[in-house]
Amino acid sequence: MMTTLVKKEILANILSFRFVVSTLLLLIVIPATTFILTNDYLRRVDDASLRRAEIETYMRNYAHFNRIGGILQPEEAPIPFHALIRGLSADANLGEFDNDPLPVMFPLIDLVFIVTIVMSLTALIFAYDAVSGEKEDGTLKLMLANALARPGIILAKIAGGGLTLLMPFLLSLVVSLLVILIRPGIAWKGQDWGALAMVTLGAVFYVMLFYSLGVFISTRHQSSSSSIMTSLLVWVLLVLVIPNLSPYAASFLAPTPSRIQVEREAARLGDTERDKLGRKLQAERLSGLVARYPILAERLSENEKKRLMEQDPAAREAFAAATKASQEAWDEANRIQSEKMAAVRREADLKEEAQTRLARTISLASPLAVFTFTATDLTSTGLRNQAHFSRLSRLWGEDFGNYVRKRVAELQAKDPTADWWNTAVDMSDRPRFEYREEALSGRVSAALPGLGLLFGYGLIFFALAYVSFLRYDPR
Amino acid sequence: MISAVIKKEILSNLLSYKFYVVILLTAVLVVTSFFVMARDYKERLADYSLIRPKPGEPIAVNPPNPLSIFAKGLDEAMARSFEVSIIGIHVRSGQKSGNAVFAFFPAPDFLYIVRVILSLVALLFGFDQVSREKEAGTLRLMLANPASRGGILAGKWLGNFLTLAIPFFLVTMLGTAVVNLDPAIRLSADQALRLGLILILTLFYIAFFLSLGILVSTLTRRASSSLVILLFIWALLVFILPNLGTLIARQAVEVPSVRALSEKRSQIWTREILLLTRDVGDRASHIKAISAENDAIEADYRIRFDRLVELARTINRISPVAGFIYAATEIAGTGVGEEGAFKNEVVRYKNSLLDRTLASPDSGMADHPAFRYTYRPLDRILTGGALFDAAWLIVFNILFFALSHTAFVRYDVR
Repeated sequence: MMTTLVKKEILANILSFRFVVSTLLLLIVIPATTFILTNDYLRRVDDASLRRAEIETYMRNYAHFNRIGGILQPEEAPIPFHALIRGLSADANLGEFDNDPLPVMFPLIDLVFIVTIVMSLTALIFAYDAVSGEKEDGTLKLMLANALARPGIILAKIAGGGLTLLMPFLLSLVVSLLVILIRPGIAWKGQDWGALAMVTLGAVFYVMLFYSLGVFISTRHQSSSSSIMTSLLVWVLLVLVIPNLSPYAASFLAPTPSRIQVEREAARLGDTERDKLGRKLQAERLSGLVARYPILAERLSENEKKRLMEQDPAAREAFAAATKASQEAWDEANRIQSEKMAAVRREADLKEEAQTRLARTISLASPLAVFTFTATDLTSTGLRNQAHFSRLSRLWGEDFGNYVRKRVAELQAKDPTADWWNTAVDMSDRPRFEYREEALSGRVSAALPGLGLLFGYGLIFFALAYVSFLRYDPR
Repeated sequence: MISAVIKKEILSNLLSYKFYVVILLTAVLVVTSFFVMARDYKERLADYSLIRPKPGEPIAVNPPNPLSIFAKGLDEAMARSFEVSIIGIHVRSGQKSGNAVFAFFPAPDFLYIVRVILSLVALLFGFDQVSREKEAGTLRLMLANPASRGGILAGKWLGNFLTLAIPFFLVTMLGTAVVNLDPAIRLSADQALRLGLILILTLFYIAFFLSLGILVSTLTRRASSSLVILLFIWALLVFILPNLGTLIARQAVEVPSVRALSEKRSQIWTREILLLTRDVGDRASHIKAISAENDAIEADYRIRFDRLVELARTINRISPVAGFIYAATEIAGTGVGEEGAFKNEVVRYKNSLLDRTLASPDSGMADHPAFRYTYRPLDRILTGGALFDAAWLIVFNILFFALSHTAFVRYDVR
């Protein structure tokens, strides 16, 4: 009986006008996007190798230890997955003078975007009249007049409808993969396929969640026209409003001082306040020395000091002690103030982390945000990859620093008179930065909570639809 | 006759569930957006007052634009602090928020609410105008009276447009008034005029989607199929085409990557400074060399980039949505064109500073004038494309209404 019901749902859907339209749309948009993104990826690969060659040429001619940090910036190499998902890799480079304004105005479209926006809307278009439409046609009464249990009907509805919805999506995804695979110059490895499998699973959960939500809304309405109104309202809130407002809400609830203010404060601590403290400590220490060396209490000009130091060993000792005491006082002041500066910066960092966490938590109310974070983390294009990349950069920075120190020490041992910091030298044996993606296992374990959350949302909406349908009045 | 139809449409709208849901949603979103974006603007303004260059500091900073509350566009990029030195232009770090979630989703400004949500709302008002009346059987009764089909359609369009536009307009006006009461955000007369133009554009934008809805409604027999078609068209017009257009344009125009540019720049200055410390040539010639090479890079990039923007614009104009975004951001002074003009100003400022330093090397950069950017005047923005985009929207409106009229005249009302 169940199979009959599922079959009926699938057939009814496949023969419907919306199925045709959505299949066409997805079959055009997903492969077309993939094709363009693949081109873009290949272009970025070319660009990266060209730039690398330029840096090598430059280093052969002008490599020197000073100021070379700006030339050898670590960078994230383009990864094969950029042909499908861009995530944060398409940033606008606001840190550079020549930033790219277009992605800010028109965010890039990729698989995540299509799944989150187009697929969720399609799911609701498929689901809004699943129950109310049957009621309007009068077929729901007929169904229930047979020996059919309501739980069976609603299960079959969600299973059949979900299957027909996923068919065009998976089909277009397969076409997209063909688009990627027939291009020379792009090679997917095992971990990419693994990530793709997980992303597809997430997309299936996401689509099913919206389908269940649509069926639930349909069971709350007697007419299809009001059902679609509510569906769209809920969709707008979940997909278009909550994620965009979440960081702003978080900045309202957990304010952070602006970075500019923090740097201002740090500069004040390290400069004016340090000077005040240094002078105070110096005066204290010197007044302690005056008892032992009365000569220090006298006001002497620099010339007189010099004269005294040459003539009188006691004075020399006194002045040496004074210099040492001053040095100690200033060292102490520097130490205290750098601790204060570090504390101010640490506090700001902690506040920023807290705000980011809160923004993420608020946005998790929206399945769109959950899927976006999960998919980008899985494919090394999201927040997790940023942290991973900065870790790699730090490690390389330490390596490179050690290399520079070692080389300079060697060269200075050879010729102590030359200015080795500003001399072109051979640096072909320097450690080079290699970007490697994080291992798949780490990415997957990070994405599991997100996948679980998507599944959980789906389950909740399914349960709601189920319970609501049991009480539905089919007349 | 038309007035009777208009009255009927307005009354039937006022009594519907749809109307209340939609108006409540729009009002809440517009007000929230104003509140959130005004707060964001004030925070950026506070930052600006901290980094404002003191007299004599070689820094180019433009204050944030109050119209960014309504159309944020590229204001964040334009309000960055550019520190000028002999080695070129350096962007001060620390003006961005450390909260990375901002980078994931577009800013919920007024423009976003209009672009995405009001277009959807307008479709919801238009999608069943003809098919629903046919299904209910009232269309036949209407046409049994001495009413022309064109009059009925025009009455429907106007009645729905008024029920949509008036509440929205009132909410926007109220929100703007409240925002304007804040002493930190006083709009000047020119800015108020620009905002007025953006609002007029917005009304055309809503009208376009209403016309589209009515057109599809006259082409379909059932309200549900009309809605399905419209939602797919909407997703295409609002989301897919504008974003895909920029990508397609990139395939056709070779523009060097931002990274390549910044690497080139740092290579140029480290090389020249190295040569300088090795005492090859004098300081002025090295500074000139750095500046000249940097400007050549910049000029080449600008030419290509402008070509890219032009092409992207042309492709994007398939969808009136992109035209609307371009026009509104340009009028607000946060658009792509404005940002390009601003960058040219920064480069010019840098060159004037360098010329002064080279002319009197010992004076340093102490007594030069402060950087000031004046936004392009409205008439130049309008003639530079915004007017075309607005006209384009109007053409689409008229075209779609004419098409729906043609379709409605042949519509079988039985």
